[in-house]
Amino acid sequence: MRIPGYLKATAAALLLAGTSMSTAVQADDHEIKIGYAGGFTGYLAPYDQPSLKGVQLAVDQLNAAGGILGMQIELIVKDTRTDTAQSAVAAQELVDEGVVAMIVSCDVDPAVASGVIAQAAEIPAASSCASTPTLPDAVGPYMFSNYTADNLQAAVLASYAREQGYENAYILLSRDTPYTEKLPEYFAEAFQAMGGNLVAVGEYATGQQDFSAEVTKIKGLDPQPDVIQTAAYEPDFPAFIKQLRAAGIDTPVLGSDGIDSPTTFGLGDVAEGVVFSNAGFASPGSPLEAYEVAYEAKYGEPNDTVFTATGYDLMMVIAAAIEAAGSTDGPAIRDAWDNLENVEVATGLITYKDQNRVPVRVVALNMVSGGERVHVGDYSPDPSMIPAP
Amino acid sequence: MMGRMIAPGALAGSALLFVPIAILSLIGWQVLGNAQQGTLTHMLIMIVAVLAFSSFTGNSGILSFGHAAFMGLSAHITGALTIPQAQKAIFLPDLPAWLADADFHYMLLGMDLHFFIVGLIAVVIVTFVAFLIGIPISRLGGPSAAIATLGLLIIVYGVIVGARDFTRGSQALIGVPKFIDIPTALVFVAIALVVARTFRDSLSGLELRAAREDEPAARAIGVNAHARRLLAWTVSASLAALAGVLLAHFLGVYSPKEFYFQLTFAILVMLIVGGMSSVSGAVVGAILVTAMIEILRKSEDYINTAWFQEPTVFGLTDIGLSLAILGVLFWRRDGLFGYREIEELAGGWRRWFGLKVHEAEQGAAPVRIQQEGALEVRHVAKVFGGLRAVDDASLSLKPGEILGLIGPNGSGKTTMLGCISGALDISEGAVNLDGHDITQMPAHQIARHRVGRSFQNIRLFTHLTCIENVKAALAASGTRLASAQMEQRALALMAELGVADYAERRAGTLAYGLQRRLEIARALALEPRYLLLDEPAAGMNETESDDLLKILAGLRDSRGLGLLVVDHDLRLIMRLCDRVVVLNKGQVIAEGAPEEVQANPDVIEAYLGKRRAATKTAPHATQGREEP
Repeated sequence: MRIPGYLKATAAALLLAGTSMSTAVQADDHEIKIGYAGGFTGYLAPYDQPSLKGVQLAVDQLNAAGGILGMQIELIVKDTRTDTAQSAVAAQELVDEGVVAMIVSCDVDPAVASGVIAQAAEIPAASSCASTPTLPDAVGPYMFSNYTADNLQAAVLASYAREQGYENAYILLSRDTPYTEKLPEYFAEAFQAMGGNLVAVGEYATGQQDFSAEVTKIKGLDPQPDVIQTAAYEPDFPAFIKQLRAAGIDTPVLGSDGIDSPTTFGLGDVAEGVVFSNAGFASPGSPLEAYEVAYEAKYGEPNDTVFTATGYDLMMVIAAAIEAAGSTDGPAIRDAWDNLENVEVATGLITYKDQNRVPVRVVALNMVSGGERVHVGDYSPDPSMIPAP
Repeated sequence: MMGRMIAPGALAGSALLFVPIAILSLIGWQVLGNAQQGTLTHMLIMIVAVLAFSSFTGNSGILSFGHAAFMGLSAHITGALTIPQAQKAIFLPDLPAWLADADFHYMLLGMDLHFFIVGLIAVVIVTFVAFLIGIPISRLGGPSAAIATLGLLIIVYGVIVGARDFTRGSQALIGVPKFIDIPTALVFVAIALVVARTFRDSLSGLELRAAREDEPAARAIGVNAHARRLLAWTVSASLAALAGVLLAHFLGVYSPKEFYFQLTFAILVMLIVGGMSSVSGAVVGAILVTAMIEILRKSEDYINTAWFQEPTVFGLTDIGLSLAILGVLFWRRDGLFGYREIEELAGGWRRWFGLKVHEAEQGAAPVRIQQEGALEVRHVAKVFGGLRAVDDASLSLKPGEILGLIGPNGSGKTTMLGCISGALDISEGAVNLDGHDITQMPAHQIARHRVGRSFQNIRLFTHLTCIENVKAALAASGTRLASAQMEQRALALMAELGVADYAERRAGTLAYGLQRRLEIARALALEPRYLLLDEPAAGMNETESDDLLKILAGLRDSRGLGLLVVDHDLRLIMRLCDRVVVLNKGQVIAEGAPEEVQANPDVIEAYLGKRRAATKTAPHATQGREEP
């Protein structure tokens, strides 16, 4: 009997599909799979794409040095297109493919959607750069944070403000995003806990170009604030600082990592002296400087955002957790991760022990001076001074 | 009675879509892994959402950006009510006590009705809110209504972010129970499908689709477009609320931005691909777009592993999807389904369901109308800025009479018809219909008082079938008949005008002369006492115009209705009319029997100018029509 050609082809295709599927399911003894379900297109792309570059650099370095537990790392990347439903699907696919740890998106909604899938599968997961400190608790014991939490940055800014002798603070917040709302509130809480005084709270809407009402209000305050803190970023921060300075108010302004962009350094005189926090400063001899060199060697261009470094850090933390656990078993990695102390990464040291899965890590303070970034100092605040999320 | 509740087409169409979806989904439920099941469930929920958009946009022709707002509202209501107590205390500490402690656990036959009750509460609240918002929006038409829905989306988003005690503001609502799986979602897809199709095929839906095609013409057959739009808005909002509840309990975590532009555009893409004006198109669009994303996503994974490895290239999914949409728009501007439903594509569906195929039958003899009363126009004026298009004009029309209204171009004939039919507001004077003052009445009410009209440039509902054109008029004029009888009536009217053979053709595809006839058949569906015809013979050759003359004279003889005929074809006017009124510059300059008017020097002057009038005779009937 002759078998028609198309039937043979179909059978062959089925057979192929079958074998490829079975290889996918089988755990490879010589590879350790790490998944990254991130928003590589959509509004998270500016954060998750740099993070991924850092992660890939870390994987290269780890593999070159013999891998983790003697096994090479295979990084499996899934684009969630910044879609919450797709984030859950992508996480489920990673679980099905047998990852032992998972990196998830930079924003809360997709991170939680992926996180609950990892939690159910008892696979530890961490958001690449979401800074909301309540995120791990929203999911459960298998969820970790990586990026400098809003309350951590706020605590550093508050202690710096007190060191400078500022007594009265004014905060400007926007309730449009958790970041612009919560960070100034954490600042106020920490500042008051350190003996400072909150004079007033101003509110703005994201995208609002006219800050004359807020500026007038600041002018009329009694007592006048010694310091103004805000988590506003582009386009709000440039508009605010210009109008503030134009009104003759020269009160020092403290910002956060949202203004760590070329725009801020190009603002000229109005931004002079603005101090802001971020995840690290590449001072000479620092690990971050070494990282920047390695980055440029791999990608052929200088690193232009701190998110690549924090992505690199996260991969290094995962490697440290697996090494410490001595196994690829989910619960073991989770416990080891939760007890990590002073892991050396690109931006400094990271500690998870006793931090409820929100790491304490170095926060760098920088000053805008003559259009350049000047390092004020690296701070690792006393955990007791960090406001509760 | 059931026949009136659910049209046979709606049932057939719903079944043709639902059965394959259900079978494939249930197979998927059994064999697919968790990840693919998630994708499948999400697709089913998106079908409900697309049906919500389609129920409004498809029937009204108004693009809605606002329905995602209703999804967000209901998702946040169901979220605030179903998050477990312990998590409420953490994430929503400022929730009012009565809400924090609200408990909707009721048992029925061992089943916890909690989610069912909460979901119902969310849908009911959102539907009510949508009704209130719909009152102003439904009065707008076209692009301004679309912009209003866009504003609605932005405002509702702001409200949800602002109501932070209930919604956590812009932060994500976390811990909403996830329980939507494929079988649950399928149940709601079935409900949404039946609701969407029933509404589309209902008489209200037909009237709204008529208004979508041509609002002035719809008003002229008695369609209250505002009321129909409000109904569609409310029905579709309830479906959107349902989709919101489903999405909430599928995602488990969401913030207000989940229900904003991204979702709106994702749904609109499905609608555009499938066909904006077709329920079947909406469903198929949702399935195709989801399938396309899945295929593109898998190929992206494959391409990245096989070719690029590093640096990984992203965005192939979006590029592929965009190309596919451009392709659909290029080759099928109205989407894959256009204006059709699935059972219309699967021809012969009526036979499968044991239904009778349309047959042109001669209906009962037309009813003669009462001969008392008159349509009286008294000293009416219509002022456009400085122009008095109609100026102190009076005329009257009795049942059984054919009145010609002639005059040079720009003399105010069409404006006069507009004033009588309510399409234009009258500036001065009054119109009296059988002793009732109808001066201030809106067009659709005048139509229901049995004044029909046709238009100078044909205004059919081009994308509806011929029989739907007539049925829309039957429905809008308040005729209460069972579905089968209504079909018979419509066919009888069409047979009278000789267009019954084209019942299932799209009206826009008919030849010109047939379109004119269909327009008259549609006007006759109102059972008019008075029929206003604006240039019925325009563009017809002599044979066609002779046929028309016979038909019009026949209408008067069989039904005894009063005809007001505006035409440039003086041959037709002179042979058809009992009486002729001549307008010039908005004023009546002559009135009387055709022969008298023809000989009137004022009329000759108005038509031919002063100097020529002295040497020429009157415009003679055999001269034929003037330039249109």
